[in-house]
Amino acid sequence: MLTQLQIKGLMFDPSNNAYIVVLRDDEHSDMLPIWVGKSEAGAISMALENVTPPRPMTHDFMKSLLDAYDAKVISVVITDLSEHTYFAKIHLMYEDSEYTVDARPSDALAIALRSNAPVFANDSVITKQSSDELKQWLENLKPEDFGKLDS
Amino acid sequence: MSSNSGWKISSRKISVSWIPDPTERTIMSNLDLPKEQDLVEYRVDRLLEEADTDTRIVVLSRQGDSLDTFPIWVGAAEGNAIKLALDTMITPRPMSHDLIKSFAEHLNITIQRVVIADVKNSTYYATVYVANKGVERTIDARPSDAISLALRAPCPIYITHDVLKRRSTTNLDAWLAKLEAKHIGTPEVQET
Repeated sequence: MLTQLQIKGLMFDPSNNAYIVVLRDDEHSDMLPIWVGKSEAGAISMALENVTPPRPMTHDFMKSLLDAYDAKVISVVITDLSEHTYFAKIHLMYEDSEYTVDARPSDALAIALRSNAPVFANDSVITKQSSDELKQWLENLKPEDFGKLDS
Repeated sequence: MSSNSGWKISSRKISVSWIPDPTERTIMSNLDLPKEQDLVEYRVDRLLEEADTDTRIVVLSRQGDSLDTFPIWVGAAEGNAIKLALDTMITPRPMSHDLIKSFAEHLNITIQRVVIADVKNSTYYATVYVANKGVERTIDARPSDAISLALRAPCPIYITHDVLKRRSTTNLDAWLAKLEAKHIGTPEVQET
């Protein structure tokens, strides 16, 4: 089963010196945090905030390559979580054929945001992520913790 | 980030220096493209790290004349992407440029060559040439992305004569030599 998720925002995790992309379903009952590196977070944050850099960033280039041949990102799916590594698939449509490409979730999310493509997660990933500790932390979050990224 | 208690929100502010015209095409028109005879082939010689900075220097050297070097300053993440390819490191998961290559392979797009085609305000501009079923397209890129991709494709890297002519006139070789000396642990000479 797949659940559609919205990218709600990005937070800094000082204990890992990493960033967390917070994904949530529309009913706000499921939440999926994904830890990403600094530059990966930057690629997501620029798209979330609609910032246009003076030069194309890596994912802007990626989008240009797809645009050059009219290939479309239909959706991205966070498929699995195994030993702290997340797996994602990017579904492309090109010349009436569908292609599925293996990717890191950070790349998948960065390209999804630039293509206005929906993001899904396997329910097994969402369940696996919901450790008690994490739940507690997430429940303690105040709306303002999301800052202006929570639009 | 000054706190070590709990979670902190990233408060990175990004200043927008330029808003592009939405009608502007990322795919460059053929009129702007350098001709074959204007190109000189370079290869990635090495990657230099400046300690305690977020900057890396990609040193390109001329094919057949390794003393003719061409340095390009890039960010740390961009430098790492180049280093991974230079060291032919296989990462457990595909990195961003591996994904670009994977897109190209799935769609039967060939990455033919990359050209460092312009320099404006000390910023280099690159063009990536791609082809699919005889249809060639050019894509505007930062040199770091172009080089990362060229190493993975693999495909040749060219610099136009025009860019070579207009490159910085500061004595980069001396500067690079000093940097490399520092790199292998030689005490830095105090400049007076």
